[in-house]
Amino acid sequence: MPEATMTAKSPKTKARKNSEFLRVLRQLSKNKAAMIGLVIFVLEIIIAIIAPLIVPYDYTMLDMTNCFATPSLAHPFGCDDMGRDIFSRVLIGARYSISSGVLAVGIAMIFGMAIGAIAGFFGGWVDNIIMRILDVIQAIPGMLMMIVISAILGPGFVNTIIAMAFGSISGMARMLRAQMLKVRENEYIEAAVSINCSKLRIVMSHLLPNCMSPMIVQGTMGVAQAITLCAGLSFIGLGVQPPTPEWGAMLAGARQFIRQAPHLVFFPGLAIAITVLALNLMGDGLRDALDPKLKN
Amino acid sequence: MSENKEFLSVKDLVVEYMSDGQVVHAVNGVSLKLERGKTLGLVGETGAGKTTIAKSILQILPDVGCRIAGGEVHLDGEDLLKLPEHEMRKIRGNKISMIFQDPMTALNPVQRVGDQIAEVVRLHSDDKSHAHCEKRAKEMLEIVGIPAERYYEYPHQFSGGMKQRVVIAIALACNPDLLLADEPTTALDVTIQAQVLDLIAELREKYNTAMLLITHDMGVVAQVCDDVAVIYAGNIVEYGTKEQIFDHPTHPYTVGLFGAIPSMSEDEEWLHPIDGLPPDPTDLPQGCAFAPRCKYATDECRKGPIAVYKTADGHDCRCCNMNKIAEQEG
Amino acid sequence: MAPVIEVQNLKKYFPTPRGLLHAVDDVTFTIEKGKTLGVVGESGCGKSTLGRTIIHLHESTSGKVLLEGEPVNNLKGKALRAAREKMQIIFQDPYSSLDPRKTADQTIREPLLVSGKYSKKEIEEKTTELMDLVGIDERLRKAYPHELDGGRRQRIGIARALALDPKFVVCDEPVSALDVSIQAQVLNLLKKLQQDKGLTYMFVTHDMSVVRHISDDICVMYLGQVVEKCPSKELFKNPLHPYTQALLSAIPSTDIHHPTKRMVLKGEITSPINPKPGCRFAARCPYATEACHQPQKQEEVSTGHFVTCCRIHEL
Repeated sequence: MPEATMTAKSPKTKARKNSEFLRVLRQLSKNKAAMIGLVIFVLEIIIAIIAPLIVPYDYTMLDMTNCFATPSLAHPFGCDDMGRDIFSRVLIGARYSISSGVLAVGIAMIFGMAIGAIAGFFGGWVDNIIMRILDVIQAIPGMLMMIVISAILGPGFVNTIIAMAFGSISGMARMLRAQMLKVRENEYIEAAVSINCSKLRIVMSHLLPNCMSPMIVQGTMGVAQAITLCAGLSFIGLGVQPPTPEWGAMLAGARQFIRQAPHLVFFPGLAIAITVLALNLMGDGLRDALDPKLKN
Repeated sequence: MSENKEFLSVKDLVVEYMSDGQVVHAVNGVSLKLERGKTLGLVGETGAGKTTIAKSILQILPDVGCRIAGGEVHLDGEDLLKLPEHEMRKIRGNKISMIFQDPMTALNPVQRVGDQIAEVVRLHSDDKSHAHCEKRAKEMLEIVGIPAERYYEYPHQFSGGMKQRVVIAIALACNPDLLLADEPTTALDVTIQAQVLDLIAELREKYNTAMLLITHDMGVVAQVCDDVAVIYAGNIVEYGTKEQIFDHPTHPYTVGLFGAIPSMSEDEEWLHPIDGLPPDPTDLPQGCAFAPRCKYATDECRKGPIAVYKTADGHDCRCCNMNKIAEQEG
Repeated sequence: MAPVIEVQNLKKYFPTPRGLLHAVDDVTFTIEKGKTLGVVGESGCGKSTLGRTIIHLHESTSGKVLLEGEPVNNLKGKALRAAREKMQIIFQDPYSSLDPRKTADQTIREPLLVSGKYSKKEIEEKTTELMDLVGIDERLRKAYPHELDGGRRQRIGIARALALDPKFVVCDEPVSALDVSIQAQVLNLLKKLQQDKGLTYMFVTHDMSVVRHISDDICVMYLGQVVEKCPSKELFKNPLHPYTQALLSAIPSTDIHHPTKRMVLKGEITSPINPKPGCRFAARCPYATEACHQPQKQEEVSTGHFVTCCRIHEL
């Protein structure tokens, strides 16, 4: 009576439209800290986009009568050494700081993942050559490398992003490769081979999606890191150049006045701190939310 | 050896887990008894709550999200659930030891095998000198059939069966009165399993240890146990001596379990599986948990808690249709 | 009738830092259409590797595999793809054999999609048909593996393997990870599918009661070699090789009144890396003599009953 065996039923699983993105979001929404991080970051992005519309002053407008003005109703964050409105500059600066972080990590991820995927999937001598090259690159301290690249390309917003992206490619590639080696051991990869999936399909459809969780987490945290790095590069004068109001550059410009007018340093610094914190909270939450094994 | 009839007794044990805001009813009122030198087999499927019962006796349930909601666990007349943690620590390893399922992860890979046994000896013996502990550890290795020279080797130099022997040596190093063996041979090959089962039986006889053996393998039960408790969804559905359970299985679940095993002596075209799946432990059905899968289920089964009926002396069965089924089946 | 699968002197060696690992060493057998060959042995005896080598998940070191008379083990490209459609595998671990990010229907649909033979509509129809065939409820169509129990996952794995109507299926311990009541459901399903579709199985397992139930013939493997091969009934009635005898006697029997006399083996499986010539079981065999360390020959003791043991007539 084998037919009888087909009538199993489970109360556990309900039929429902299951979108991966929605599932992750639902899982994420249970984590308060992550949600706070997400809300802050989304707000910052919105602010960055609409910044030119909402800034009270032109961020390049010099007003010598207001040099070092302390925060007031007219200038909520005060004014800098040239009398420019710091509030406006921090808002506009969000565009540069956040986009530099996101772009640098984005570029690093695309290249890093491509390299890592090739190394991880093909293995053998391909893997060996790629990994040795990455070893050489990683042997150079990251900051030093970025300084060298910035120095060669010259300072500037785009060049800073390229320098930062280049610096983190090898880390991303390594991580994806390690992840691929782990995922490749699963029987479903063998199953994919046995049903004639092409190598490309196995990589794109089975390996990469299952390697993505740690990459996304790493990416989120990486953006935070890149924002501080970019600030660091700007601070030593190799990154974004004044008068572009990138947060790090603002810090760099204001460092000589830190005793007389601490608010010049405080507000851009606070902006960096909040953004980094928000991203890290989000990254932590994503780590849990992206794990498909955690049941709802 | 004291002739205490009830060496270990568990009464109405209830254990709950919290998982994502839902209460997982892992163990729902389990009672069992064990005498010195006897072996009780806990049989059931994955997720039936077997391991949770053993862990509650030893009180090594996770601190977060898990609680013993009721019941008593008496060992030698002492209620373990009422003991403070520092008292319990003395009992663990000294009076009760546990053998875990996976020998591969139970040993510390960077510590010499012998030292791992010696450490347990040191923790629980009065003579804490190095020489004494090492001597005792070497004795233990010999007892489980490993040459004492291998004291200085690391776990990776041992095969699976050897590792499980070491785990057993650790569990027995302090001559526990009660051994909790959680699927001790499931990860091993049959020929190795036979060796390990023989070893456990031999040592148990020698030291008059009581053992609670958790397994899903009816064959292992048949070989090792004196009494058997069949567990379904956190509840004992049938309880009796090995002879009672194997010769006269009464509860439909027990009958189903026996029926589902491919026979070694008869040829049958089709196996007789139990339809359906075990219930969701966060959402147990009212009444008999097995009713949704039971072909004899009536309205009475789905109403309320099912009482335990005695079919013979010491043979309990938690089924309200027991007699009717017996009639039907002849 | 021509056999569906014919394996001749198949060898699979893996290079390791300590030498060649003889995972499968000189294995020969045939399986007739609609029959099941059970392959039993302990972990590390090469039974899983054998299955994977036959269906070309591993490249064979030497030897031949014939599928319906056509050699398949040196194929490449298109011919290999065509051959693979006829040979499928059901995996042991229902947890790692399904992609955790694919829903039930996505997993079942994939082979149909990849084959490129079907239109979108046909793929949908066939997917539904397959789900029905293996007993997966329509409402579980969009369920992810982690939402399902082991038995259901295994059914999805079976549906995936059967999607392209294979002739030959390697079942690699398909029920060892399941509870007995679920195991019986899956075994019945496999048997029913075999009858309905005329499938040929190679059933790899370490569970003697399962193999006895499902197989027509049985191969007993030890360290990469077949030590005994015969019809299922014969093996349980009249095991001849000392290893087979030990294996059978080690099974804990559920018969409490007639405990089996156990033949407890000493020692453990030796290493399959650079094995010495001669019987690989000799190190643990209670009957071993000098002659056992010479290369051994397979011998047909009675019709269809093959044993590789030089002392078989003395014992």
